[in-house]
Amino acid sequence: MIVKAMTSHYRRHPLQLLALALMIVVATMLWTGVSVLTGQARESLAVSEEAVAAREAVVRVDGQPVSVTDFVTLRRAGICVAPWLETARGNPARRVIGIDPLAMACFDAPPAGGNAGELAGEPFVDISEVAGDSDRSESPGQLSLLISPGTGALPEAYQRKDFRLGPATGELADSFLLNLDALSLLVLFITGLLVRSVYHLGLAQRRSSFALLERFGVTKAQIQRLLAVELTLLTLICVVPGVWFGQALANRLGQGFGLALDSLFDLSLYAGDDTPVPWQAAIVMMALVLGVCLVDRLLPQRPAHEGKSSWLAIAPGWVCVSMAAAGLTMVIWASSLVWVFAGTALVFAGVGGLMPGVLARCAEAMARRQTQSPRSPLARWRYRELAVMFRNLALPVVALQFAMATVLAVQALVTTFEETFEQWLAQRLSAELYVEVPEGASAETGAGALAKLDGLGDWHRVRRGKAELLENTGAGDALTTDLMALSPVTPLVTDWALLASVDEPWAALSAGGVMVNEQLARRQGLALGQRLRIEVGGEIREVLVVAIYADYGRPSAELLVHGEWLPEDFTPSFQSFSINPGERSVEDIARRLKSDWQLADLVIRDNASIQALASQVFQQTFLLTRAISVLTLVLASLSLLVMGWVFFSTRSWYFQLLSVWGVPPGAVRRQLRGLALLLTSGVTLVALPLGLWLTWTLVSRINPLAFGWSLPMAVYPGFWLELTLLMAAIGLVIAWLIGRSLAGQASLRPGASLTGGGER
Amino acid sequence: MSAARVVSVLLVMVLVLVTAMLSACSESPDNGGFAGLAASVENDSPHEFLQPGPGNRLSFPDDFGPHPQHRIEWWYLTANLETADGQPLGLQWTQFRQAIKPRPADDPPPPSDTWPLEAAWMAHAAVSYEGQHQFAERLARGDVGHAGARAEPFQVWLDDWLLSEPAVGEPWRLQVQADGWGYDLRLGNTDDRVAHGNHGFSAKSFDGQGSMYFSLVNLDISGTVTLNGKTHQVQGKGWFDREWSSQLLKTGQQGWDWFALHLDDDHKLMAFRLRESEGDRDRDFLSASWIAPDGEVTTLGPDQIELVGQDWRDSENGEHGESGRVPGQFQLRIPDVGVDIQVTAPKGQYWNAGLYPYWESPVTVEGSHAGVGYMELTGYNK
Repeated sequence: MIVKAMTSHYRRHPLQLLALALMIVVATMLWTGVSVLTGQARESLAVSEEAVAAREAVVRVDGQPVSVTDFVTLRRAGICVAPWLETARGNPARRVIGIDPLAMACFDAPPAGGNAGELAGEPFVDISEVAGDSDRSESPGQLSLLISPGTGALPEAYQRKDFRLGPATGELADSFLLNLDALSLLVLFITGLLVRSVYHLGLAQRRSSFALLERFGVTKAQIQRLLAVELTLLTLICVVPGVWFGQALANRLGQGFGLALDSLFDLSLYAGDDTPVPWQAAIVMMALVLGVCLVDRLLPQRPAHEGKSSWLAIAPGWVCVSMAAAGLTMVIWASSLVWVFAGTALVFAGVGGLMPGVLARCAEAMARRQTQSPRSPLARWRYRELAVMFRNLALPVVALQFAMATVLAVQALVTTFEETFEQWLAQRLSAELYVEVPEGASAETGAGALAKLDGLGDWHRVRRGKAELLENTGAGDALTTDLMALSPVTPLVTDWALLASVDEPWAALSAGGVMVNEQLARRQGLALGQRLRIEVGGEIREVLVVAIYADYGRPSAELLVHGEWLPEDFTPSFQSFSINPGERSVEDIARRLKSDWQLADLVIRDNASIQALASQVFQQTFLLTRAISVLTLVLASLSLLVMGWVFFSTRSWYFQLLSVWGVPPGAVRRQLRGLALLLTSGVTLVALPLGLWLTWTLVSRINPLAFGWSLPMAVYPGFWLELTLLMAAIGLVIAWLIGRSLAGQASLRPGASLTGGGER
Repeated sequence: MSAARVVSVLLVMVLVLVTAMLSACSESPDNGGFAGLAASVENDSPHEFLQPGPGNRLSFPDDFGPHPQHRIEWWYLTANLETADGQPLGLQWTQFRQAIKPRPADDPPPPSDTWPLEAAWMAHAAVSYEGQHQFAERLARGDVGHAGARAEPFQVWLDDWLLSEPAVGEPWRLQVQADGWGYDLRLGNTDDRVAHGNHGFSAKSFDGQGSMYFSLVNLDISGTVTLNGKTHQVQGKGWFDREWSSQLLKTGQQGWDWFALHLDDDHKLMAFRLRESEGDRDRDFLSASWIAPDGEVTTLGPDQIELVGQDWRDSENGEHGESGRVPGQFQLRIPDVGVDIQVTAPKGQYWNAGLYPYWESPVTVEGSHAGVGYMELTGYNK
């Protein structure tokens, strides 16, 4: 009987139960999906990094490309080598790698793709398939002979060379995933606030029923226990489909993500379909829902603060201001990630505590300003009602503000990331063709050959090596950095977007200046115009910093100088040419270089296909983040809709009074629409600065601390408008629902709970 | 039949390849026998695999070389050696070829730079000494060049493992170098060939399928074996098998017990049993060759041989961690030639833990005859 009485509320308001259930399902789905995806993506990237790192290949000392004959020679000499024949197929180009799983059996740790007779699947195919393609296509695949680590001495005609199985983009992806983690936690926090809001709103409506039960002898403790059981059951029932949907979402998104990873990193990395059921995510969600809804039961009873049990309502303003100020200070000045995260949490807590009160006061101020207006009574009523709502809806308002701020930050982060990455990749691969100077070949000869080719587009020579950055005082320890030298300076590089530069930076570089990458500038506190002492090729030189450039792909510090600045004794570890063919064909260029270098074969890489492949991975990552962003928004919108509707319903008696006072039904509906729009746009307004600040924190504080480089800060007002319109639409839907509800009610009386202390 | 044993490995390995790369399906592994040796592989080549039959004859020296139109074949050596201080040392080397596409022997191989996938090779090497059993496995694709076989001059190689006849009439040389151990042996007396079964056709079931099979049963072996950083001078007797077929096992056969024994009265005995699945063991197929000191071979059929496994040992087959119960001793009776012997493996584990684990151990012989030899057991791992 008690149970029946307890549940009578939801029988009368099935939609409210449905809404609460729906929120738990969506929240669980969101959290599960995000947990699974980020967990797997992180694991995948870790595996890929491991797979692409620390490999070596065997090359011929005479600079000729290796062939099957070399493979046989080496194997017959007892050297464990395996062929790796790489080419691109399809449109857009997709990396295809031919391997020999049988040959890989001698590796203790096979490079990737298969072992002992088994293939891991795309992009790995049996080498005979690629070799067959090579015969037919114009650009044959490139054969490399990977060598097992720890192999002893090679025959005289061969030597080792570093070999990467795929482009190293892990650093950029790591940064992205770290930010995703931070956002996931924020999403969890927001979810907690939203669920708590909706649940407590329902409880407020049921107070009269509980009071009645108490009169019949049911104790408070019994009611509390039954409520706990009711919520536990509801959560259990809702978490299960939530987990299932979340996993399905993760698998669906993961497949695309996995495909791109496979293509780029050469491993079947993303086992979306094989993911075990993420029960941890379910447990976290159970704990969260039960925790946020029932925490009051565990705390000692406070003196009556009806409906104001949260810190949001009871923390004094100065505490909130102090928290926000302390948080801001920590975020700005902290030198470790932990403190930045803690500071961010403090800012959110402070803003959350302050905002409902600030909004309510603003609404009251607006109400006071309406006294002169001819329509003042209604406008005043509207603003006062709004003030009441902001106060009573403190928790959902704050949750909504956080959710919107998160959505804004995610959108800005993703868009910035995407643009930056594309731009950076385009910069680094600005030339159409790329030629690595083969072992034993002279780069000078190559440069001479290119200079003599009429009609050739822009090209430059890249030399890489190491330099020592000496302390300015000349005393302290030297810092070893990477050194990149470019010459000549052509439009291939002058379009680079530099983070900071003197006037005419490329001319300054040609005149003997140095550019430093962002990592180096941040770590060493280098600034434009600073004089550096650098030891290169045994010579110590003083140079001026003329620009700081973005270098997202890797953590290493790097100096960029003009090739002619290098001392004669400088020995590059690696040399290449970046070439735009201009009027010349690739075959022309290859023929000329092969002739001058006296090589039988030469590999000319097409940068466009590399760029396309690298972009694929990030497109999928961006898709993932967007999905999280959209789901967060869906959750926030849903909760706004539910809470707005429920709360407006609790105030319907007052809205009905408008009709009693003679306001025509159309005007009542207009007032309701105005009220709902004011509520949602108010929240949007306060969410914008918080979202901007969160974006700044992510790109300018968290990233530099974690990785040494920052992302540019960008704002996207178009998206703000979209978000505002969405919120307005939700407000209109709430107003429409309440309007319909009012039209259907002949007479409305406030319930016991609402007359007992509700603000009017 | 010696060989059949391990060959499997190759077979299954290739089945995996075939499935993955050529989308060709094999029969269910349940019916495929040990390592899929009873399975057949779809063939999209214009040529057919040749299946040996009773009418086939051996041909030398060609049959020391590869048979590209047969699906499986192997070159197999076991040796019961002694170190300079008289300690027994068992040694095995096997190289398998598994064809994916049949190719007539006269057809040229595909060009190596197309990395063809028409055959796969696998080599095994093992040394058993003082209770230790060292094993290594090598794999290679055929027709590329780093694995192959040739009749004249005789060579079988995979990477730097090589069995060769340096010059006509000279002792063969076998060189194997694995991780931390290896051997370098000379094999003399390579001319005494013994054809098993019907002029070299060795039946493997009552249904009639089988393989071509001959052996060199009286090899004199000497050389060095390096183990644990120490090089031992060794010498002793060896047994070399050549066998080829296109379907070695019949469907349902699960594995085999195979023995090659050097008896003290200078007789040699090769015996094998192909085991049917449980419930059908009364159809196990047994065969033996009783080889007199003068090389005369008496072929013995299922009704003449009795083989009983004893001293069952619980064991784990190396890296794969699978467990199986293996008979450590067999009672072998062949009344027609007066044989009633116990064939016993020394204490220890003798799993060749490659892709398809099997048991390969030296044995001692007691009973009506004394002697030494080798025993291979397949299909016992779970």
